[in-house]
Amino acid sequence: MEYSLVPKVKSIIQDKRKLFYLFSIITLAVPIIIPVFFDPYWIKLYSEILIWSLLAASVNILFGYLGLLSFGQALFFGFGMYGVAIAITKFGFGLWGSFAFGIFASTLMALISGSLAVRLTWHYFAIITVIFSLIFYFVALTWKPITGGDDGLPFSPPNILDLGNFKISLTNSTHQYYFIIFFVLLCYYFILKLLESPLGKAFIAVKENNLKSELIGLDTYKIKLLGFVFAGLIAGVSGCLLAFYGRYASASYMFYHVSGEAVVWTIIGGVGSFLGPIFGTGLLIVLREELSHTWDHYLLIVGALVILIVIFFPNGISGLLKKMLKN
Amino acid sequence: METFVLLALNGLIWGLIIALIALGLSIIFGLLDVINLAHGDFFMVGSVLAWFVLDTTGNFWIALLIVPLIGFVMGSICEYLVIRPIKNAAALTIVATFGLSLFLQEGVRATFGASPKRLMVPVDQTFSLLGIEYEVYRLLAALFAILIISGFFIFLHKTKIGIWMRAVRFNPEIATAMGIPTKKIYLFTFAIGFAMAAQGGVVAAPITTVDFQSGVDILPFCFMAVIIGGLGNLEGTVAAAIILSVFEGMVTSFADPTLARIASLSLMCIILIIKPHGIFSGAKS
Repeated sequence: MEYSLVPKVKSIIQDKRKLFYLFSIITLAVPIIIPVFFDPYWIKLYSEILIWSLLAASVNILFGYLGLLSFGQALFFGFGMYGVAIAITKFGFGLWGSFAFGIFASTLMALISGSLAVRLTWHYFAIITVIFSLIFYFVALTWKPITGGDDGLPFSPPNILDLGNFKISLTNSTHQYYFIIFFVLLCYYFILKLLESPLGKAFIAVKENNLKSELIGLDTYKIKLLGFVFAGLIAGVSGCLLAFYGRYASASYMFYHVSGEAVVWTIIGGVGSFLGPIFGTGLLIVLREELSHTWDHYLLIVGALVILIVIFFPNGISGLLKKMLKN
Repeated sequence: METFVLLALNGLIWGLIIALIALGLSIIFGLLDVINLAHGDFFMVGSVLAWFVLDTTGNFWIALLIVPLIGFVMGSICEYLVIRPIKNAAALTIVATFGLSLFLQEGVRATFGASPKRLMVPVDQTFSLLGIEYEVYRLLAALFAILIISGFFIFLHKTKIGIWMRAVRFNPEIATAMGIPTKKIYLFTFAIGFAMAAQGGVVAAPITTVDFQSGVDILPFCFMAVIIGGLGNLEGTVAAAIILSVFEGMVTSFADPTLARIASLSLMCIILIIKPHGIFSGAKS
């Protein structure tokens, strides 16, 4: 029995599409499975992990498939967050309007900053993304009437759907969970589609050899810009969802440290692996969550563990899983 | 006008300290290809150690001498335990040094405490400069920074180890073939980088506050100085740190500090777009 199962599992893991379906089914079933074994609190945490994993996924698109190391994804994350919070508190938008506004704001920002940033390569690209995100972090910090500065911008979430007696609202935790995972799964589906498309192949060509890609007629500037805008959009959705989840937007989420953590999650999960960002984000968030109850200075353990993981598993969690399957 | 000159002078002094820290980052970056996210924390550890030494001995000058030595030892340990096992993979060094950064920050929070502390200024005389009482220590800090930076350049160009360091940077394989102990040079470089950042921490401690998070703010600034000065161009790093800091100081004279920060970041952004490989990339590549 076991022997017949192994090749099946292998084929699922090796095929991105099947893996995506498996992941979707598990995610849909989480609210049913988790209460059986664990505290229902983990359902909420799982949805939070998925939201953050989108930020790591946006790093993964750029670094794993285009070879561009961005330390500024928190900028688009923050624009998504503030887009939602400002649209609700200042313009009185509903949920869908504010969501659209958040995505629009982050994508537009990605287009503007990307058109400048993708001209640069490697370290220079990395540093200009930090600079962009720091500029807007400080802007958000000082522009208090709009952003709330240090205190942030809290809001109460509008209904998802309001049909008089029948209401779907974020205040209901089940509704909130399915609202969040719908968009997370949609994002991963788009990423999958993108990677399978000719554009996705062009990404990898640019990553492997920029000059050769140009010689075979690829417009590398345009390809990188498209990748950057798409990654910005994913980070923006992630920010919008976290704003809905926390009912709050704050400048601190735009700091370069948040971008840095997303890079770390991506590498720990496995660079260039489709679901790697979820593994990396999940591992680190669960570690923090679990250890924080045990000891006040648990970050010492997290720091040491991060170093050990990268020393012993340089290809990340997905690399480790692939290796285990081969044997 | 007076405040303008004074704030520019403050900017110059702060720029020299940043240059000192950024130089350490630059050699670690250039020689080991390590993207060191913990470098700001090396600076922070230096200022915290200065606080501890001052607390036990009551003498700032002992701290100025001892802390870089402790930094050197800590740097050697870090290289041996954290950097060496993952060499030749720049992306992995991001994660490893991120872990190191968490470890150092939390270690300091556990021992030193979470609340910022102020260090007594070792030389509390002031003198009148353009009608404003200016601290003598600030000028001394600038002098220390200049001395250490020039000492480092002399060391790099005139001593055997310094020449080895440059040779390893130029071509590690050939350097090894010529009999240079490359691994020891890597260890030494990382340790020197740590020591210089820690020294920067001691020099800066009486001017700023000692806080376990102070490295977080300083890190992007150091990276920017390294990149804008032109990767691998150490003189460029120093120049970029000073230019950016003086510019920020000058803007502070008519705008609040956060706006000045935004202005200097925008300046860096413009520089990178006009000269994508740093201001001094033409001089040396």
